[in-house]
Amino acid sequence: MKEPSKQTVEVPVATGDEDRYRLRMGPQHPATHGVLRVDLELDGETIVACDPQVGYLHRGIEKLAENRTYAQTLILTDRLDYIAAMSNNCGFCVAVEKLLAITPPLRARYIRTIVNEMSRLASHLLWLATHALDIGAMTVFLYCFREREILLELFEELCGARLTFSYPRIGGVRQDVNAYFIDGLQRFIDIFPEKILEYETLIDTNRIWLKRTVGIGKVSREKALSLGLTGACLRASGVDYDVRKHQPYDAYDLVDFEVPIGQEGDSYARYRCRMEEMRQSVRILQQCIDQLPPGPIVGEDAPDLHMSQRIIPFREARVSAYGTGLIALSHKTKPTYPAGDIYVATEVPKGELGFYIISDGSPRAYRMHIRSPSFIHISALTALSEGGLVADLITNIGSVDVVLGESDR
Amino acid sequence: MQIQYKKKRNLLQNLFLSELVQGMWLTLRRLFTKPITLQYPHEQPNVRRGFRGQHALVRDPETHTTRCVGCMKCVMVCPSRCIRIRIQKRPEHGNRRFISAYHIDALRCVYCGYCAEVCPVNAIILTEVFAYSAFDRKSLSYDMPQLLDNWDRYLAEQGEDLAQYVNPTWRPRGLPEGPMPAGKRLPVPDDWKGKGQVVGRLWRQSVQGQNR
Repeated sequence: MKEPSKQTVEVPVATGDEDRYRLRMGPQHPATHGVLRVDLELDGETIVACDPQVGYLHRGIEKLAENRTYAQTLILTDRLDYIAAMSNNCGFCVAVEKLLAITPPLRARYIRTIVNEMSRLASHLLWLATHALDIGAMTVFLYCFREREILLELFEELCGARLTFSYPRIGGVRQDVNAYFIDGLQRFIDIFPEKILEYETLIDTNRIWLKRTVGIGKVSREKALSLGLTGACLRASGVDYDVRKHQPYDAYDLVDFEVPIGQEGDSYARYRCRMEEMRQSVRILQQCIDQLPPGPIVGEDAPDLHMSQRIIPFREARVSAYGTGLIALSHKTKPTYPAGDIYVATEVPKGELGFYIISDGSPRAYRMHIRSPSFIHISALTALSEGGLVADLITNIGSVDVVLGESDR
Repeated sequence: MQIQYKKKRNLLQNLFLSELVQGMWLTLRRLFTKPITLQYPHEQPNVRRGFRGQHALVRDPETHTTRCVGCMKCVMVCPSRCIRIRIQKRPEHGNRRFISAYHIDALRCVYCGYCAEVCPVNAIILTEVFAYSAFDRKSLSYDMPQLLDNWDRYLAEQGEDLAQYVNPTWRPRGLPEGPMPAGKRLPVPDDWKGKGQVVGRLWRQSVQGQNR
């Protein structure tokens, strides 16, 4: 009797250079901050080729946005960068407001700036925590989460959620801040600079930290620009670019802050930039609390949640039916959705988050593209890591601060 | 603003590992502080009013059934399209709309709270109940009796009276009362109505300066 043939497993045979081998890091690797897979080609411990693979968290947010109104798309933006969901919400609202030519009231702009900076702090704290944990500093992880918890509780008091806020509205914000929130935030601002000093005591001059970060993942100024890096990664390479300063939105033109710039462009410079950014965030928060003006929180021309009742084609049909008489003129005063396309960028903790919206005059985006900083930073991993060690790849993934929800969308 | 890249260290600091000693000293001091970890199943977290948790349909104390009038606003606004309502028009009641089924798929819901925000009669609510689960899909897809039960259970747990209950998603804090439908003009404290707004220190000072 013939023996049943065993299923053969094809073993990849290295051709040419026998020393090289391939390694697939992720998507379950804890240091990849989610579901990033990196295909590595190694020569010993040196990375010869590094090929990041994304898409494991793809949910089709851009496509979903095509058959949801702008108000409904706001919910989807929570799921982009889930560590700083408030920044995404604000960024989307700023984009749609610019499309609809709405200006939110001053108080709403200040509140948005507050929540934006709070989410920047929350994001940077989580970045520092996980980056330090990857490199081996466990204490910083626990200390950072201690402070992040205070911020999340403040968010919960403000909008009833700790992760998916959907707090800003197109043309304003949903709820007014109350005394409990402002007092809690003031207490947080008072203690937080000491906490930053604590983190710096732990890792700033620590020789293990220095050995793991100084000179690792170095990008020159020109290379950083050509890779499309934004945010702290770009500023650490010596480029003075911050959307908050150069194209101010919300209340950023009314507060005074500085943009920390580095020179070296390595992991340590990125770390220092983000630490200084946290200090500047505290400064912005303090100014916003002091300057918070009275007034309405939603603009009068802001669309309601039911955006579907104001479709332009319907109005055009009415206008054509009645000619161009008085009735057509009275219809013109109603808020309408302009057609055209717009790109609006905002500075989120990770970098520059842009929304490119093509509108055909309906309350839905005909096409919405999200320029997510994480996606571009992941693509820069190749340039950062090739020629380095495997352990330095972990440092690089941590120091460019990627969130896979934003990258894969 | 240029960042300070690397702090300068002298020979003695290098020799005696001063930064390690400082770090160790810091962690040693923190060792004796109060732990902030919440031991969850034994301690319950302080969930704020306005947290968006399990769905419920408010049971009206007069009619003992839902307040829902079947306006379909929640169905229209739901981003995940998890609400389904069946409406009947009964000629014997002068063509009034009655809802014969109200269905929420909790597994599809994204807990944005839009439905509670647009509801003109405050019929639907996302309660502060966050710990609920089931072993099958069917029991997490709520129909109307289940949703009303959720509300009864929630009220009993909270020990609150419906007359005093106001959910922040029903009536967001600080919105003007004028454009709201009648059902949303609930009795709320003054700071919800936008009267006693919290304003910044500089504004308060400028107002005081004008009064003098």
